Amino acid sequence: MAGFENEKKALQDAMVAYKVPGILDAVEKARAAKMPANDIINAMGDGMTEVGVLFERGRLFLPHVLSAAAGMTKAMEVLGEDLKAQGGAAAAKKASVVMGTVEGDVHDIGKSICSTMLQCAGFDVHDLGRDVPKQKFIDECNNGCSMCGMSALMTTTMTVQRDVIEMMKEAGIRDKIVVMVGGAPVTQSWCDKIGADVYGESASETVSKVKDL
Amino acid sequence: MAAQEFYTRMGDGKRVTMTKEKIMADLQAGTADAADMGTIPALTADDLERLLDIICDRNRVVAVEPGNEVVLTYDIGQLDFTGDNGNSGNGVDMGRLEAALIHERALGADTFELAHSDYSIKPVKPVISMEMQTMEEIQQEIIAPFFYGAMPNMGLYYAPDGPYGNPADLMREFKIDESMQQSELAAEHLARDIEYVGNKIMAAGADGFDFDTMASAGDADFVGGLKGVEALRKANPLAYINTGMAGESVMGIHGGIEFHGKTVAGLFPHQQVKVCEEAGANVFGAVCNTNTSKSLAWNMARAVTFVKECVKQASIPVHCDLGMGVGGIPMFETPPIDAVTRASKAMVEIAKCDGV
Amino acid sequence: MDMAHMIASGMGGIRTAGDLVARMEYAKNMKIDKAKEYVAKKLGLSTLDIADEHIMRDLREELKIGVVTGLPGAPRGIAAKMNIEKLLDIKINSCEKFRQSLKN
Repeated sequence: MAGFENEKKALQDAMVAYKVPGILDAVEKARAAKMPANDIINAMGDGMTEVGVLFERGRLFLPHVLSAAAGMTKAMEVLGEDLKAQGGAAAAKKASVVMGTVEGDVHDIGKSICSTMLQCAGFDVHDLGRDVPKQKFIDECNNGCSMCGMSALMTTTMTVQRDVIEMMKEAGIRDKIVVMVGGAPVTQSWCDKIGADVYGESASETVSKVKDL
Repeated sequence: MAAQEFYTRMGDGKRVTMTKEKIMADLQAGTADAADMGTIPALTADDLERLLDIICDRNRVVAVEPGNEVVLTYDIGQLDFTGDNGNSGNGVDMGRLEAALIHERALGADTFELAHSDYSIKPVKPVISMEMQTMEEIQQEIIAPFFYGAMPNMGLYYAPDGPYGNPADLMREFKIDESMQQSELAAEHLARDIEYVGNKIMAAGADGFDFDTMASAGDADFVGGLKGVEALRKANPLAYINTGMAGESVMGIHGGIEFHGKTVAGLFPHQQVKVCEEAGANVFGAVCNTNTSKSLAWNMARAVTFVKECVKQASIPVHCDLGMGVGGIPMFETPPIDAVTRASKAMVEIAKCDGV
Repeated sequence: MDMAHMIASGMGGIRTAGDLVARMEYAKNMKIDKAKEYVAKKLGLSTLDIADEHIMRDLREELKIGVVTGLPGAPRGIAAKMNIEKLLDIKINSCEKFRQSLKN
């Protein structure tokens, strides 16, 4: 992205400032400077990661996160067309991810934030909400999701994460799926114990880990 | 283990060995993280040396010096015996009177509380008469201050469990204004329920009310809880009111909701205590969350930094929350005793909290 | 957990004067040092002594404010708390409600 440092910074700053018009303005200026659409998207993605970190550190709040996400979604309408024009291909999604809070558990907020941040990082997210039956995770994996994120906020429900992994093994799809686990009582030890692939201490850490896969 | 190494723990409870130098490096990183996050002073060099001594003590159990003992308060009442592993309960069925007296007479409890099995304000409403009878009965026997405890738990007021739209769902659909409005309505409903339940239980002779895990559903939950506390205080000047938090920072799910003109989202313990004081709390329960991927040293330094500043700023006593996964204690169902006693001593002797 | 904290940093409840110090924290918003000084003064002891089982066991029995062991005839519950009200010069809600329930 050499040569577009000012635009990159303006895009990241606009994301952190979370106002939709500001984000669209920064995108228009970057386009006017002939910054490639893919680089604009990546710069906004980096900004979104920063938004997530600021949320976790109590500096920004959920409406701000969602406002930044709305700005990015709106910008993608134009940038998707640019991508097609520049390379003939629309914005390629990184991977399809099924996300949900496991059955018996209605805690939703952390998982929703993680879903939003994954979406902004370019993943195709299928968020099933809360209290999700085990089989639904398997069904989504059979329907094309290559990543599965399960949240559990109680010691009584975290065992469902293990159950779903066992069901994946029985269905013969475990090796094809990246399994992510998170939630208050969930730890790296638990992740290792049940044979999951990724443990996220926070939403931003989860996104950072899966981007590196 | 090499002679220069010490047994210690990770935030998930796993035992590890570390050198003194590595422990000190983690202490410094932990306090720096809290200082940066809360915009508060880091621990002094003396504080860090004392923390190092506590962590490196070769004894399994450590304790405060005689004369430094503090008051203990409890959450979940009898559920620590009767509950399941979801609340670290032992699964031992017993009456609530027996549980209270065992705490008072066998476990050295300075205070204790009565709790409903769902431990939330909303489900207590339909059974409040039964709770009142049990409170009256136990007050006849117990000597130590005996509270009623419950979580405001505003999540129960949102769909699918309650009448208001779920803010997380609405936000996901970018219906930000509607989400905020639903949070505000739910907060008002919660405040009314707290006033109702609180006044009834005080009429049954409770010493007071322990509000546990305030702001668990974010900033609107906190405002609803604070308004409930304010109403309870107004009607019951004698009530002992404990306001314990859910986390070190108030999660901004609404983002702009205020209590007495102050936006509560993003408040840290030293700021949370001030709004609780304003609402009429007698004691504030400070919380700092444990990071399971970091060491006990990192977590303890971080938690002590937050609580020390909170105690400094508070005009009311501060009881530090030292349960599973908070206050530096590992996030594990049966937290190791060595880690628990180290966190306990550090919070009392370095953060100078008034209770645990 | 309860036992670990009691051993590491707890006052000991009615084994000592933990319940009394707790009452002063809650009834008067006193921080721990002030609450201990207040209770110690009322008991005629030092702040070190009020967490000492050896001193507090007999003193609690003498003052009729409840003891930790099963002692027939020793006041407990409301009776012990009424004595605590007088000792600490505070009002206790359960005692107030008990008095209100009496028919003069």
